[in-house]
Amino acid sequence: MTTALESKTTAQASPEVLAIHRRMLRRQRLGRALVYVVAILISLWVLVPIWFIASMAFTTPQVVRSYPKGVLPFIPFSTDTMAFFLRSAGIIPGIINSVVVALITLVLSTLIAAPAGYALSRYVFRGRDAFRLAILAVRAFPIVVLSIPLAVVFLRLRIYDSIYSLALMHTALALPTTVLVLSSVFASIPYELEEAAQVFGCSPVRAFRHVVLPLALPGIAASAIFTFVLSWNEVFAATILTLRNRTLPAQVLVNLNISSEPYQFAGGFFLMIPALIFIFFIRRYLFNMWGQITK
Amino acid sequence: MSDASPPKRRKGINWAPYLLILPTLIYLLLFFGYPMVRGLLLAVQDEGARLAVLSDAERSSPTSGTLPRGTSVEILDRQANAIDPADLGQTNMVTETWYFIQAQDASGQTVEGWTPETRIRVREQDEEGRPVAGTVRSVISSTADPLTSVYAEPDGGSEIIARLEARSEVQISDQSTLEIWYQIRGEENGQVVEGWAPSRYIQTLGDGSTGRIARGNLAQFTTIYIRRMINDRFFWPALTTTALLIVLIIPAQFVLAIIMALVIQANPKFNSIFLYIFSIALGISDLAAGILWYSIFTQSGYLNSILQGLGLIERPITYLSAGSRHWIILAIWLAEVWRATSLVMVIVVAGMQAISREVLEAAEVFGANLWQRIRHIILPLLRPSLQVALILRTILALQVFAVVIALSGGDVVTVLANETYRQYYDLRNFNVAAAYASFILLLSMITSVFYLRAVRYQEETTA
Repeated sequence: MTTALESKTTAQASPEVLAIHRRMLRRQRLGRALVYVVAILISLWVLVPIWFIASMAFTTPQVVRSYPKGVLPFIPFSTDTMAFFLRSAGIIPGIINSVVVALITLVLSTLIAAPAGYALSRYVFRGRDAFRLAILAVRAFPIVVLSIPLAVVFLRLRIYDSIYSLALMHTALALPTTVLVLSSVFASIPYELEEAAQVFGCSPVRAFRHVVLPLALPGIAASAIFTFVLSWNEVFAATILTLRNRTLPAQVLVNLNISSEPYQFAGGFFLMIPALIFIFFIRRYLFNMWGQITK
Repeated sequence: MSDASPPKRRKGINWAPYLLILPTLIYLLLFFGYPMVRGLLLAVQDEGARLAVLSDAERSSPTSGTLPRGTSVEILDRQANAIDPADLGQTNMVTETWYFIQAQDASGQTVEGWTPETRIRVREQDEEGRPVAGTVRSVISSTADPLTSVYAEPDGGSEIIARLEARSEVQISDQSTLEIWYQIRGEENGQVVEGWAPSRYIQTLGDGSTGRIARGNLAQFTTIYIRRMINDRFFWPALTTTALLIVLIIPAQFVLAIIMALVIQANPKFNSIFLYIFSIALGISDLAAGILWYSIFTQSGYLNSILQGLGLIERPITYLSAGSRHWIILAIWLAEVWRATSLVMVIVVAGMQAISREVLEAAEVFGANLWQRIRHIILPLLRPSLQVALILRTILALQVFAVVIALSGGDVVTVLANETYRQYYDLRNFNVAAAYASFILLLSMITSVFYLRAVRYQEETTA
């Protein structure tokens, strides 16, 4: 550290300084190489287990049951295991239920959260900070355990074991995050654009509809996708609030102890598919979603 | 996150923002506030502890006293009363059906009124099975009144408008279901309480002159559910395992997440691909992650396959069984670190982006090596982000559930969320399940206090 300091103070490029410069460059290159090594190691840590389960999901049930298992791509490819899983009782209805619940959840939470997100990003109003803080606090709460009292209420109201009631619960789960994400999405659109539209004679609603909304759409879509994945993955509330109308994760969970390994592995991989696809599209927005938590 | 554009000020009180946040507020009250209160009440209230005894056989009449569940009572009288349609699904109700009839009495006059179903023999029904005509039953007993009364209301206490002879023909045009009410007398601590109560709360014994209060309609504060939770044989294992997992998982996640964030921050080629790979797990459910690690740790799984392939073991080892608790904990640890580190990584990356590049470059120019930069610049500046991530992760770790079921079947190693599920789903014990849920809420609330402090701290420092 002292040498570096001296090199800065002696303005002339003496051979000594050049040597230090070379050393720094070498160190930088070394650091660069280290970054790649670490990046690849972490990638392997994430991807290898996924590779394991994917190769189990796409082979024959005989191979799944065999031991020892092959590790490299020597495993015969077959859709038999996946087909066996999909043909098992309750799986196709479970998939349909999961998709319906996730779609209702994303529509409902976007519709409810968008106005609140807009208000947070565009207005200064009394109670704004309290509202924001409340949303932050609710988001950090273990909302899923509230499915126990909700189940009792739903039983009494006779809307228990319905995918629509489950969607209501999932909406509560997704709402705080959606509000915060949408508020940052709206905040990233300059207010001046909206103002200009109003100056040229647009009503506030029209300005929102034709200026803000098109610009906010990618962000809203990302948030909606994330909500979809959230609902698709949620298993605790789904198991508590449904009985016959199971969603896919609930169906897999309650059968876990009594099912065979081909069923389990194919199910495990099937549950991951939305994550593998959707995270790719929304990876740039993830920071808006979770990074925003500290703001 | 450039939500830098400052919110616009407008003059006067503007109701627009309040209208805009109203749906969210209502929704959260309905599906967050209300269930939370409800859950707490379920945990500390014995809902049917006492029965309110009414002075008259009517729902609106005043209470003459209350009796605890289980009290033996004398049944003094009975009467049929109208039922609220919403109550028709209630269990253990003794009901009576009354018919609205038209008939001619002894003097040939046409009368209309209500009479109990037990007094009419139905002779004719319409295609849906509803009675339309019948005759008055004859009274066999010699001491009883040989005539059948017709009442103005479907209620044995109402005015008698006519008396019909046995075997008179009647037309039935309507019917009504009534619940029997009992006039009861019971005693608690020497105090006698007398009054009316609906049959759904009373279990009659013997010939119907005595009974006991099967359940009540008034709640009473109780600690029995909380005591049952604490005395449950799975409570302490669940609590200690949850705490152990938090202690084991979180430091590992933080180290790994900071390394991931540094890699992303170093902006290597294919940064976008690395970012995608690092964040995949963010969208993977704990159930799927549990199954995935099960495929590695199960006896015929990948770990044994690899070890045997390398010649390190002779026979497959059993990792996930009752006798190998430590292996299950290790598997859960790996699964959670694998799955949930990405969330911490995202928060840390967002925090790092807020650190100005100049500061880091200056440190680099002055010769600070990587460790020195992490130790003296990055970590202190990241402190607020790390705090927030820490608390968020702690609360999420309190909810660990499906991973544990997938890897241990939920018996050998258990956690709080799993016990909540067991009480609700396997034991059908809603109140104890609610006690568990409230306990988790309480733990999170304690953590949340720290969390809000951290947020405020951050707002102060960034303001």
